[in-house]
Amino acid sequence: MSVMEYNGGSVIAMVGKDCVAIASDLRLGNQALGITSNFQRVFPVTNRLYIGLPGLGTDVTTLRERFRYRVNMYTIKEERDIQPETFAHLVSSTLYEHRFGPYFIEPVIAGLSKAPSGGFKPFIAATDLIGCLNFAKDFVVAGTASAKLFGVAEGLWEPDLEPEDLFETISQTLLNAVDRDAFSGWGAVVHVITKDQVVTRTLKGRMD
Amino acid sequence: MNSLIQRYAGSSAASQQRRNVSTVDDDDEFSDAMWGSEAGFGSLAKGVPSFMVPSVPDPAAFLRLHTDDHADPSCKIKIQHGTTTLAFRFQGGVIVAVDSRATAGSYVASGTVKKVIEINPYLLGTMAGGAADCQYWETYLGMHCRLHELRNRERISVSAASKYLSNLVYSYKGMGLSMGTMICGWDKTGPALFYVDSDGTRLKGDLFSVGSGSTFAYGVLDQGYRWDLTDEEAQELGRRSIYAAGHRDAFSGNTCNLYHVKEHGWDFIGNYDITTLHYDGPGNVSGSPGHGYGYEIRVEGQTSANPPEVVAQA
Amino acid sequence: MPDTTSLDHPAQRAFNPYTENGGTILAIAGADFSVIAGDTRQSEGYSIQTRYAPKVFQLTDRAVLAVNGFAADGNMFVKKVKQRLEWYRHAHSKDMPLRAIARLIQTMLYGRRFFPYYVYNILGGIEEDGTGAVYSFDPVGSYEREACRAAGAAQSLVQPFLDNQIYFKNQRPAHNTSHPVHLPLATVLSIVIDSFTGATERHIEVGDGLEIYVVLAKGRGLHGLEGVRGVQELTATDDGERVFVVRRELKKD
Repeated sequence: MSVMEYNGGSVIAMVGKDCVAIASDLRLGNQALGITSNFQRVFPVTNRLYIGLPGLGTDVTTLRERFRYRVNMYTIKEERDIQPETFAHLVSSTLYEHRFGPYFIEPVIAGLSKAPSGGFKPFIAATDLIGCLNFAKDFVVAGTASAKLFGVAEGLWEPDLEPEDLFETISQTLLNAVDRDAFSGWGAVVHVITKDQVVTRTLKGRMD
Repeated sequence: MNSLIQRYAGSSAASQQRRNVSTVDDDDEFSDAMWGSEAGFGSLAKGVPSFMVPSVPDPAAFLRLHTDDHADPSCKIKIQHGTTTLAFRFQGGVIVAVDSRATAGSYVASGTVKKVIEINPYLLGTMAGGAADCQYWETYLGMHCRLHELRNRERISVSAASKYLSNLVYSYKGMGLSMGTMICGWDKTGPALFYVDSDGTRLKGDLFSVGSGSTFAYGVLDQGYRWDLTDEEAQELGRRSIYAAGHRDAFSGNTCNLYHVKEHGWDFIGNYDITTLHYDGPGNVSGSPGHGYGYEIRVEGQTSANPPEVVAQA
Repeated sequence: MPDTTSLDHPAQRAFNPYTENGGTILAIAGADFSVIAGDTRQSEGYSIQTRYAPKVFQLTDRAVLAVNGFAADGNMFVKKVKQRLEWYRHAHSKDMPLRAIARLIQTMLYGRRFFPYYVYNILGGIEEDGTGAVYSFDPVGSYEREACRAAGAAQSLVQPFLDNQIYFKNQRPAHNTSHPVHLPLATVLSIVIDSFTGATERHIEVGDGLEIYVVLAKGRGLHGLEGVRGVQELTATDDGERVFVVRRELKKD
């Protein structure tokens, strides 16, 4: 069986009107056996930037610490928060450093970037496990339920959703997609990022 | 049938096959019965159904190469797999409980599979392994049970029915059939339960569980099983065991179908959503614990993760 | 470079009579109608063999069969089902009922248990009691009656969307209301079209054209079907059930 499916799990990020959302399931399994239903794989990078790390469980932990270290070094050196675009390239180059022995993770990034005018612009991106960047304008998905997420998102997503509508859209997309995936599910967590706050909600999902 | 046994039994099977297996031309399959309403089973007129076999040296290897043996998810023809089924005998009859999930690789192909096959009003068969193998041969078994009734003016015993199925699938041994089934019923001897699989195993017993989630089900089942269980306790044990498997096993889940075989035949007790069982329990039914089965639900406010509220602080 | 290995040793070749021709099919049952749809692209690997190869076939005035997987097997299978249905007509002077066709398909598929048709079948139509029905099959004949089913290359994209929109999965009805058990035809048609445009967007094997068959129960009005763009009636008998097809374009890239 594929290493990418060993622990299971999926992440999705969507763009809304002056907001972005990122969501993930909470299952960590050992192949068919479910181990825990509170495995976090979405982490804050700054106040307006999150990263989701679906893939091999051990690499979730390792990469999370690696990114924390590299972002801290950036913050100390530059004396400012890292911007989502910059962070996306940091993620990409970190992964490509291991081109021939990769981390088994396909990161998803969601955040608000500072516009020159002073406002904030929604930003999402995803990469493959060796760091090939995909800057999408609508939504990005990754993990064992990616095909299912693509299908539902393509049907439910529309441009310029307000934060509450974006929450509903991303939640419905994730829950219905993971219910058709044997290796994802067991609850979900959703972060909706707006310029003033991040609203985090834990969803009750199917427990089978 | 005998030609099939000869064809695939013994060590010189391969060489025999080369001589015996001319590809069954499709036109040969059609008997007069096919003009009528007997569907494919009309070939009963000939005694047994016939199957087309590819004209290759080793048809079983051909089938193995092209159909999903769970080990090779990349092959094209995916036969649905993954299951939890259980049945146990007790003082009040036989309890049969199954999940309803079918998976093809990681994709949940269906959440509404009927894994209890109602062979007739007093015989049930469960489905694990190839869905088509179980459906087809247990339907076929049902027809022969009826013929037995007509010929002998009495119902077939569960033992005889299960042996009929066992001998039938044994004649196809090595051809790639995949089924692990429990034949449950009530006959002159009382409640009866037999495990039959496509390897040819046939076991009489009090308690069986079959499928990828069977280990989880056995955990709960062994813990709670007694011969003198009441009907309510027994039904609850079946439900609770399937829940445990549906929860932990990725390839089992969605809903639980519960049957109870009694002297007058089987009763369908109910269909229970695994997630509803987790959060709320089976609802207002006999044997219900009155709360969700889920660990987090049962220990709410009692663990280190969510400790009970401190009433007074020093 | 010359292939020397084949000269020295006897090479074993596997008999591989199957290929995958892409595409997706889907069917949804309503209270008194049934909708069966499929795209018309036929591909092998990254190449498109044709932009119009039907995958949905009218069997009778109350049964429509959609086939997906290996096109050659699919077409041959449909041919044989039609032949058996014609024989039935000659023997009984009526069309075979839907649930009987379903069982016929099971036995025909299982008859090839050891040399399977590489075909996923979905049968849609009207039962004898006038209800809409969908039966879905695996390649060796296990089958089940359902309310909706997607199969083929983009089944994993389409099915969870249908779970959400047809079964209202993961949705809770507003206070003191409940989800409708059966959706109206117009809603079902728009869900089908949305499903295929979505699948076309994200799956390379889906696209070109869309054929949506609609089977209406005896005595049921058209309920706006007459106003749908590109609709064509295919009813052959005067039994009462009516069959229509709606053809639409899908993206061709």
